Amino acid sequence: MKLTLHIWRQSNKETKGEFKTYELPDVSEHMSFLEMLDVLNEKLISQNEEPVAFDHDCREGICGSCSMMINGQAHGPDLKTTACQLHMRKFKDGDDVWIEPWRADAFPVLKDLVVDRSAFDRIMQAGAFVSVNTGNAPDANSTIVPKMNADLAFDAATCIGCGACVAACKNASAMLFVSAKVSQYALLPQGDPERKTRVLRMVAQMDKEGFGGCSNTNECEAACPAGISVNNIARLNREYFKATLTSRES
Amino acid sequence: MAWVTDAIKSSIGKKFLMACTGFLLCGFLVMHLIGNLLMYVGPDVYNNYAHTLHSQEMLIKVAEFGLLILFAIHIWLGFETNLENRESRKTRYAVKKSKIPERKIPYFLSPENYMLFTGVIVFIFLLIHLGDFTFNITMPDKLKGREPYDKAIIIMRTPLSTISYIIGVLLLGWHLSHGVTSMFQTLGLKHPKYDPMIRAIGPVFAVIIAVGFASFPIYAWLIPYDPYAAPGVEEHQEKSHSLTHSDLIAPLCSHEKTTFEPHSAWATSLNRV
Repeated sequence: MKLTLHIWRQSNKETKGEFKTYELPDVSEHMSFLEMLDVLNEKLISQNEEPVAFDHDCREGICGSCSMMINGQAHGPDLKTTACQLHMRKFKDGDDVWIEPWRADAFPVLKDLVVDRSAFDRIMQAGAFVSVNTGNAPDANSTIVPKMNADLAFDAATCIGCGACVAACKNASAMLFVSAKVSQYALLPQGDPERKTRVLRMVAQMDKEGFGGCSNTNECEAACPAGISVNNIARLNREYFKATLTSRES
Repeated sequence: MAWVTDAIKSSIGKKFLMACTGFLLCGFLVMHLIGNLLMYVGPDVYNNYAHTLHSQEMLIKVAEFGLLILFAIHIWLGFETNLENRESRKTRYAVKKSKIPERKIPYFLSPENYMLFTGVIVFIFLLIHLGDFTFNITMPDKLKGREPYDKAIIIMRTPLSTISYIIGVLLLGWHLSHGVTSMFQTLGLKHPKYDPMIRAIGPVFAVIIAVGFASFPIYAWLIPYDPYAAPGVEEHQEKSHSLTHSDLIAPLCSHEKTTFEPHSAWATSLNRV
């Protein structure tokens, strides 16, 4: 199939970017979206042009590196799918495809489609850890965890930190990401000792990074390739109220 | 008390305050609608309700001050969060599409995208409404010495008021359809058992409020009632000074005074029973 690609090109953080249009004939429907970009880059290199910079690593939907808006949707049109797992059979011959980086002031564009997502790392460093030495693997059932809580915690822990929630939210809010990270600890006994300080510090860091607030539009949930539920945001709100009222940390 | 200011300044704290003030304002809307529905019972009941309410001076002052604070916080936070949210993405997308699969309303029409806009229009409507009814500045000559029921009919029969009231309450409904459901999520009130109810409560509440309030200007045009022919407040007060409590509630219980006129032997026997 033949595609017309409109790709955001920006040489670095300081310069202003713009869309450039590329014609790509003979795109195989079996290619993944990133493979299609690889083909374009090979073509650009052969023409002595700068290839399109984009983040990628595992290419199997686990690492959360690939991050791009495809026709106005985070990771493209497929639900619960990362851009690397999106296949070109989703597109038709003659389609126009608009490819943009995540847009959020907390995620500055470094080059083309690559954004700086270290704001997420700083939020994690603020509280998403258990600071006791866990030692060797404990005996089974030495710590009782209800099955439902284990499942909910695991669902929250499947967040790959790709930033699609921020990208899809009209306020560029990181609430879904933070709620998933708070929930995965809050639901388990191992996370209990630091439960209150964790949520207070992570929310403070989230605000400091310049993410927007939550308008409860649920766009984040729909855009999330890991299927993180907005129920986690309700839990984050509850955890934050409880911690605000009862934490001994000022 | 740094923890209080820190919490209020945080993104979650602001949303919490927004939800709490919104909840209390919804309570006011319900009370206001119930009071206004007395218009359908009759002019006397509505007038008595209005006079009784306004005779509670202290209560009215406290309620008005409370409402002023609630509106001020809700509106201030609306602007502040909107500004912050805009700041968080200065470069907009060239193309943006919703990914919600079961979306019933198109993204560009969804109420959550217009909360500030609908809020501002509702606020303008509120100012017009207060100018009409509370401060009496829009048509003082026409309303001078009139009873509350007659005032309401005169105001709502003014074409400009009819249109602005209907538009105002419809946009209020649009605002509430997202706001009420969103309030539950913000307050952390979410559970699989109650989710379907919570999802429905916003639109249902919005329809009740919008249809309820929009019905009054339509009713004002439809009823064959001449507000200018009715007695004014002074004449009514003279009459009502001699009334007892049972007289005041009499129009509500008017069926007690009706007599059954027997037209047949069967009816006569029924009347005896």
